[in-house]
Amino acid sequence: MRESHTGTSSGEGWKLPGMMVRRVEREVYEIFIGPQHPGSGHMRIIVRLDGDVIVEADPDIGYVHRTMEKLSEVREWLKPIPLLERMTIIDACNITVPYVNALEKLMDKSPPPRASYLRVLLCEINRVASHLYGFGIFGVFLGHSTMYMWAFGDREVFVELAEVLTGARLTHTYPIPGGVRRDMPQDFPEMARRAVRYMRRRLEEYRKIFLDNPVIVRRLEGVGVIPRNLAAELGIVGPNVRASGIKYDVRLVEPYEVYDELDFEVPVFEEGDALARTWVRVEEIKQSLNIIEQAVDWLERHKGEPVIPKEDFDKLPKLHKEVYEKTGRVKLLPAHASMKIPAGKAIARGEMGRGEIVYYVESDGGTTPYRVRVVTPSARNAVIFKYIVPGHRLMDLPAIYGSIDYFPPESDR
Amino acid sequence: MVLETILYIVAYPPLWQLLILGFLGSLVVAMVAIWFERKAAARVQRRIGPYWASPRLGGFINIVADMVRYVMQQVIIPNTVDRAAFILAPIVALVVSILPLAFTPLTPISLYWPVASMEFSLLIALAITTIPPLLVVALGWAANNKFAVIGSMRESYVITAYELVAVLAILSGAAATLSFNLVDIVEAQQPLKWLAILNPLAFLAAFLAVLMSTSAFPFEIPESEHEVVAGPFTEYSGVLYALNMGGAYIRRFVYAVLLSLVFLGGWAPYTPVSEGPIAGFIVPSLIVVAKATLLVLAMSFLRAVYGRYRLDQALEAAWRLAIPLALLGFGWSLALAYANVI
Amino acid sequence: MPARVALKSVRRRGGLFEGIASNIQALAVAVKYFVDPQRATLLYPREYIEHRPGYRGFIVFIKEKCISCAACARICPSAAMKMVRVTEPDPKHPDRPRQKQYPVINYQRCIFCGYCVDICPTEALYHVPFQDVVYESLADMFLTLEAFQVEPKRPAVAEGSPVVYEVDEERGLVKRRR
Repeated sequence: MRESHTGTSSGEGWKLPGMMVRRVEREVYEIFIGPQHPGSGHMRIIVRLDGDVIVEADPDIGYVHRTMEKLSEVREWLKPIPLLERMTIIDACNITVPYVNALEKLMDKSPPPRASYLRVLLCEINRVASHLYGFGIFGVFLGHSTMYMWAFGDREVFVELAEVLTGARLTHTYPIPGGVRRDMPQDFPEMARRAVRYMRRRLEEYRKIFLDNPVIVRRLEGVGVIPRNLAAELGIVGPNVRASGIKYDVRLVEPYEVYDELDFEVPVFEEGDALARTWVRVEEIKQSLNIIEQAVDWLERHKGEPVIPKEDFDKLPKLHKEVYEKTGRVKLLPAHASMKIPAGKAIARGEMGRGEIVYYVESDGGTTPYRVRVVTPSARNAVIFKYIVPGHRLMDLPAIYGSIDYFPPESDR
Repeated sequence: MVLETILYIVAYPPLWQLLILGFLGSLVVAMVAIWFERKAAARVQRRIGPYWASPRLGGFINIVADMVRYVMQQVIIPNTVDRAAFILAPIVALVVSILPLAFTPLTPISLYWPVASMEFSLLIALAITTIPPLLVVALGWAANNKFAVIGSMRESYVITAYELVAVLAILSGAAATLSFNLVDIVEAQQPLKWLAILNPLAFLAAFLAVLMSTSAFPFEIPESEHEVVAGPFTEYSGVLYALNMGGAYIRRFVYAVLLSLVFLGGWAPYTPVSEGPIAGFIVPSLIVVAKATLLVLAMSFLRAVYGRYRLDQALEAAWRLAIPLALLGFGWSLALAYANVI
Repeated sequence: MPARVALKSVRRRGGLFEGIASNIQALAVAVKYFVDPQRATLLYPREYIEHRPGYRGFIVFIKEKCISCAACARICPSAAMKMVRVTEPDPKHPDRPRQKQYPVINYQRCIFCGYCVDICPTEALYHVPFQDVVYESLADMFLTLEAFQVEPKRPAVAEGSPVVYEVDEERGLVKRRR
């Protein structure tokens, strides 16, 4: 192994660096699991190793920063909805519903029950799709390519459901202040029920080939344990914290939309290791399937109600009402392009697939927001790298990374 | 007359065994193994796999096209590597990987053996199969790259795990028949007293040892993509990369030939009816190669089922599970020999 | 009825026999799918998907219905719609041309959110149900007023056959030829 001089030296000519060896500490060396690495996602993790044991891990985030909060300040009120949903495009409805809730608080409007049920329906479809995406990436980090392909293949079923409901596979842009943009098609309930029954059967097969696979269980059991008090102290959110024994879910503590009318469970495990985090997500998928069934049943029983508030619907011109009767599409009024929202401040929270998301929206009475502040769950989960990873072996890093379901574009906004 | 001359030249043992069966055969079996790995994984994963290059052949031409591409790709040799070792190690590793085939008889007729005597062939073939991993360690060291060195270190740890298992498990064939001569071992298993049926423990231990040795799932540790980018092979491109990647499959094939001679009965139940080149040489050798190919395909199928073990868990699996299994298998073979079963 | 908390725990690893049983179970599932893959792969371009009419695809403009209110350009979140001013003959005063403004679209920026289609007060914009359109140069993606009124062509129609995907309870997503 040759140590080389880095940078300039006295008149020796230009020498390329070989293996960049920098004395960090006695017997500790440093590798960059950098952005151009099959196992890092859109971020860099600077790892210091003593042999095979990680001594320090430093997440180097910010590669996908897209200045969404600043861009929201120069766009009129409806335009940030497609912008903000691209933070976590796989979970599009969950991430825009709290923003729309904040606007509704400022405008003092509330959506009719049918619109709330439709929002919850799409939110739960997105939650299932997002968890399946997390399983896929987790599988491929552990080398299990079958889990990857199966999870993404089954996610197609739910993406297809979302396409039938909203017209787009991933970029739904579904909620608007006051309601939703489209009503449910006639054949949707039957399709949704078939998809739910199919997914329940597939979860059994996932268990046989991945969750109970002895190799995978050995890799996950006891790895990345987050003790309960440390979880509360670090402030992590989502299924990670529910796997460490803390009973926290925004749908439980502050129910929004119609979550207080639905009957579902919030699974909580106590072990806190990677296997518990995976099982939390599996149980959450099962509960989401229950919610989808209940929502579809309610929507089928209460047909004929509008999806925007009645007073807005009555003021629509004749052409707009005709289009809604024929195709179920809600047409916006041209005034929406420059609508003004009364001055005020509002905070709204939601539970995304990866955890709790908080929006702070401030309006000064104009056509654009004064300030939109968003705290995403992955931004809060990034500290796990720094505090939990040291002490494990190098091959545990992909296992921990996949089990906390960290999504860099969401974290960097 | 022309046909006989051609047959005589083709069936000339060193030519057939080392060049045609060795180089060409290994290349063809490696391509079939890679094709089966991709196709079987695709079927389990509910997709198609290689397809568009040749829809009627199931996409096999795709693999041939990959090989052609690797041969024509630019070989980039970084300035900071140890040139001699970087270039020579994969080539020497490939040659040494194919060498055990000189000592594996494919027929009981002594006219067609590549070397004069097969008296200690099992020992010699087994000894030569232990050399290529050392060359893998050397080539990772030569690449002068942290990921490559970590991969080489992992390979050296894994070597200490599986060597003993492989040697013990395969030597149980010698223990059962009390001879190191592979021809005697195969003849003792005629017609259907295969050692895999009489001594499944040793067969399982040998299978696990081959999985560990050639980085098949669930033991694909030195080249695991998600911590070390490609392990010892990170800095390679072009034809050297193809030699490295193909080398693992070729070593799998050679081990599989050895396993099919010792455990799966070699060319049994067939006994050569005459001494001619076809009935006496080509047919038994094709039977052995067919059995070896089935073993290689079974190893390839595991890619679709398992993930990767962690390094220390793989070593623990070897020392806690595979070595006792191999010892038990060895003892069982001695018991079989004592009871004159085989 | 609000949500309930359900406390669960992970099943601990069993002994040797349970290990062997789970290995065999994993292999059995893999062999089951090896024998019957239940694929749903789309062999594009030999097959192409025929989406439902509500699919938000490329946008087409009907000039006769436009009243030049510019709401579509004002609502576009990615500034892909722009109004251009044209001079055209007035049907009511044949000797006096009039100036009107009409929208044109830049498909390098369009995100197919459908706000413009929803906000147009006269339904002068509509979606075609596909998005796999091909352009041969980047400049072609800035559509002129004439090009905006023509429905784009889908190259796959010439060489492929349409399929539709359905959700099936046993096999998941299933491809069906139309």
